[in-house]
Amino acid sequence: MPVSLENPTLIDQINALLPQTQCGQCSFQGCRPYAEAIASGAADINQCPPGGDEGIRDLADLLGVPPKPLNAKFGIHKPASVAFIIEEDCIGCTKCIAACPVDAILGASKFMHTVIVSECTGCELCVAPCPVDCIVMQPAPPSNTARSRAQKSAQAKRRYDARCLRKEMEEAEKAERAKKKKLALLKMQAAKK
Amino acid sequence: MVNVEVAYAKSEEQAIVALAMEDGATVEAAINASRLLERFPEIGLSGINAGIFGVACKLDQPVSEGDRIEIYRPLVHDPKEARRQRALKT
Repeated sequence: MPVSLENPTLIDQINALLPQTQCGQCSFQGCRPYAEAIASGAADINQCPPGGDEGIRDLADLLGVPPKPLNAKFGIHKPASVAFIIEEDCIGCTKCIAACPVDAILGASKFMHTVIVSECTGCELCVAPCPVDCIVMQPAPPSNTARSRAQKSAQAKRRYDARCLRKEMEEAEKAERAKKKKLALLKMQAAKK
Repeated sequence: MVNVEVAYAKSEEQAIVALAMEDGATVEAAINASRLLERFPEIGLSGINAGIFGVACKLDQPVSEGDRIEIYRPLVHDPKEARRQRALKT
């Protein structure tokens, strides 16, 4: 969905205030689905642990409602962290790369995987898929924490949107190939008869 | 022109270089233009392994708009050998 800069919808405005970690702790499948739920009244403004109290205050200001404390049911606000790969243990399986919503892990099958610290949002989505438990969370370095929340979320959103677009195109190409294969098979079967 | 990025990552330092390449430029040309080989001299030692967004590719592959050309490092341990060692320990 293209975002019009002159007239962003309420959903876009809410989404812009969310941290774009896509971590799913709010119980929705990412930041935009949560923004949609807030806009429709299906979700409250205090369900985003990474956003914390500051995020809740921003949402409250936008929507003209009083701020409230983070709902602990969805998690607690933790200090900024980034993922770190223990190189001695990495087997090059690419599972963490597939899990990262913002392309923050560089690597390929049977090559070393490495977290690009400046890109990592600390969402922890790469930790569980690792079959050898070689990903740990570490405190984010000053170079990450010095950036404003708006800067960080804008960067994460740009990477996430680019990744979604790329995955969509890959899916479309795959479907196209499957269609061609099926057509060729049908032709062959018809020729046999 | 195609806008691409060239990236290289070590656990303690990572680099992403944004570049505008001529249409039809190859992965190898983008890596050379990024000057990452000068910045990280260890890359060139054993032939470059490169890829785009987590998938290894050949150096003569043309780049497309938005690609992140990645320079890969080898694994520290052979995964099969590492598994054997783990199995022996338990």
